Amino acid sequence: MADVDAARRELEAALGPDGVLADPLALRLYARDASMVEGGCALVALPTTAEQVQACVRAAAEHGLPIVPRGSGTGLAGAATPIGDALVVSTARMTRIVEVRPEDRLAWVEPGVPNLDLANHLRTMGWGFAPDPSSQQTSSIGGNVNTNAGGPHCLAYGVTSAHVLALDVVMSDGSLERFGAEGPEAAGYDLRGVIVGSEGTLGIVTRACVRILPLPPDVRTMLFGFDTVESCAATVSAIIARGVVPAAVEMMDQGIVRAVERFAHAGYPVDAAAVLLVEVDGTEAGVAAQATVVESAADDHGVSTVRVAADEAERALLWKGRKSAFGAIAQIAPHYHLHDCVVPRTKLVEVMRGIYAIAERHGLIVTNVFHAGDGNLHPLFSFDRTVPGTLERVLKASDEVVRLSVAAGGALSGEHGIGLEKRDFMPLVFGAEDLATQACVRAAFDPHGRMNPRKVLPDGARCGEFALASGGTGSAAADAAGLPEGSWI
Amino acid sequence: MDLIHPRTVSDVVDALRDASSTGRRVLVVGGRRHIDKGDPSQVDAELWTTQLDQVVAYEPAEMLVVVQAGMRCGELASLLAEHGQEWPADAPEDATVGGVIASGSSSPRRLRIGALRDTVVEMELVTGDGRVVKSGARTVKNVSGYDVHRLMTGSLGTLGVITQVALKVRPIAERSMTIVAPGATIEHAQAVVDGVPLVAGVAATDEAVEVRLEGWADEVEALADATARAVPEAVRDDSIGFPRRPWWAWEDAGTVVEAALAPARLPLVLPASSMHAALVGVGIAWIAVDDDTGLSELRAIVAAAGGVAPAIRGPGGLGDTALPGAAVHHRLAAAFDPAGVLAPGRSWSDPLIPG
Repeated sequence: MADVDAARRELEAALGPDGVLADPLALRLYARDASMVEGGCALVALPTTAEQVQACVRAAAEHGLPIVPRGSGTGLAGAATPIGDALVVSTARMTRIVEVRPEDRLAWVEPGVPNLDLANHLRTMGWGFAPDPSSQQTSSIGGNVNTNAGGPHCLAYGVTSAHVLALDVVMSDGSLERFGAEGPEAAGYDLRGVIVGSEGTLGIVTRACVRILPLPPDVRTMLFGFDTVESCAATVSAIIARGVVPAAVEMMDQGIVRAVERFAHAGYPVDAAAVLLVEVDGTEAGVAAQATVVESAADDHGVSTVRVAADEAERALLWKGRKSAFGAIAQIAPHYHLHDCVVPRTKLVEVMRGIYAIAERHGLIVTNVFHAGDGNLHPLFSFDRTVPGTLERVLKASDEVVRLSVAAGGALSGEHGIGLEKRDFMPLVFGAEDLATQACVRAAFDPHGRMNPRKVLPDGARCGEFALASGGTGSAAADAAGLPEGSWI
Repeated sequence: MDLIHPRTVSDVVDALRDASSTGRRVLVVGGRRHIDKGDPSQVDAELWTTQLDQVVAYEPAEMLVVVQAGMRCGELASLLAEHGQEWPADAPEDATVGGVIASGSSSPRRLRIGALRDTVVEMELVTGDGRVVKSGARTVKNVSGYDVHRLMTGSLGTLGVITQVALKVRPIAERSMTIVAPGATIEHAQAVVDGVPLVAGVAATDEAVEVRLEGWADEVEALADATARAVPEAVRDDSIGFPRRPWWAWEDAGTVVEAALAPARLPLVLPASSMHAALVGVGIAWIAVDDDTGLSELRAIVAAAGGVAPAIRGPGGLGDTALPGAAVHHRLAAAFDPAGVLAPGRSWSDPLIPG
């Protein structure tokens, strides 16, 4: 059994008294992330150095506490929701931008640096960090690494994995390793690539070496309104078919546009059935050429309104509309459940229609705002959780949305991850052998199942004769008993 | 040496089950372009992937293509070019898709297009003990579970046989141009990287600086003008490739090393006389060495600069760089290839299966 008191004494000695939280209010605050799943924890540690993170992992290992790494807690899949007697290790106090080396196109940062802080810091030097998840004001680089975060601009620039050169990681045995390198290749298997997107199950990132890029010389942001969802989606395909990969292609349906407009006053066309926000960047000549293609694709599909940002202020306003979507929908209902699924771009309309039908069947309000260029849908159910039976209907509808996108050839998650929320959907897309192999990957890093147990893989996934990778007890019934409400057992 | 030449994935499964039970050591072979990398001596059989060469799915509007891993890069390039697209490997035509991925090879245009590993979104593979495993998804974004395909990329066939991949492809630029500046230096090359936005690639060789520009027609003209301000006396040519002489065309070179290090340190490792091509701004340098002494000296210099220097042609192996998380490497190798039959010894400093 876990010896919480002993772990606490050891941690207080290593981190100082203000580096460890154990009062009921703090434990309650750290009992969940931004998902709908609430768990519980025994202790919260707030280390400031890699050595302190090592001390956390060693103390937890010695005293039998599972470890739950945590960034800013903005994750939507429950990966940072602790279960049982967990020690939550928050990297929120590790916030130094250690060095920026434009000559090497890299920056070393600590995991607690908020994404937008890094972007703003680099911008003053004429450089940028491409991943820009909608949570970027709050979400941290460490969290971005662990969810392989995306964002609007990953259409042209790629997701977080393409922007991580190396990671310093505290392993499950407390050792500190560097995976990847400042150079483009490193010795051995690409363990860096496996750790990115592993949702805190393989180790704790204490420092990241990220790739930085010079800011493009020119950028143009355009907003198109369409009378039908079909013509809007067809425009996306046409742009790509004509050889243009814009920096970003974001689509919003009427429900979300109306909510956003009341909130952000960005001048979005509220009568349009769907709105497309397109940004192209590059050299001056390249931007002009791309914009011509984009505008003609929209014209050919009967665009009803066109607006091109005339200056940086207007561009910021158009983006404000998109980026404030999740704040704006609070007007619709007090709670929301935001989904994340990826489908082939050519199936966008079909899947959207399906999602509207699911919402109607369950009497729910759904709005859609998503990365259309990537086929990454974010249907958003708005509801009032205090109305009896509502949460159950939302969960049922969400289950159907996942199955619908998988049936259309899609993936379970584009950028939010699996966490607790979707782990039991994994067998929908992976066979037993695939999951066993994934369990082996996990066990190779963490043979004792200490790091973020019960996340990502369903409890049944085992790696041959290795120790239990998922940290389960081996009994499905007993495993299920410990899981919090909302994790869809 | 035995030859295994499977026609189907189940042939691969049978062959590897058999190899694992009898202890027959197998080298996975594609187009032989990186066959020397990791010095894979001491095997009993070669498994050629070249009959696994079918197109599984191609939907240009999705910018994804699914092919079997034994397909030749030239054949894939022709297929994609019909739809104005490319997979930017820039590998020789007879290299296989699976070989390019398994060898972790780098595109000369990495400065602009990024690492080739990021184009692999889904993979089917057969482990050393003959299990068929799928990883990833046929979507451009996907965070679900552990990316086994990332492990396989660059693993030199030591974990399994890649049988099928889904690749992100991209539109071919409206116009491409290579600018050659004979006699220009790496300082000129650096000036191009710093001063010409969105340049696709800049190579500093022992003969010249070569600049690759891609984009829209007007754009490339403007970039060519910007390049001319950074490198004197340059020749523009729309018809030649980049680099003009890739390392696999260096007929008179014995051993070729692919050094990888932080890009600003490239000048520290480039030799004064021997043949080389450095991707400035990227940190890759292909360098010819004459003998073991030359290799050791170069490796010492690269290691001091924080890089690695595997030989990709000729003898010399990968080098003795210590593996991070050696125990993780060992456990992975044991899980994927429990009998240790896949190219044993084709590894960095530590043997993957101790003892």
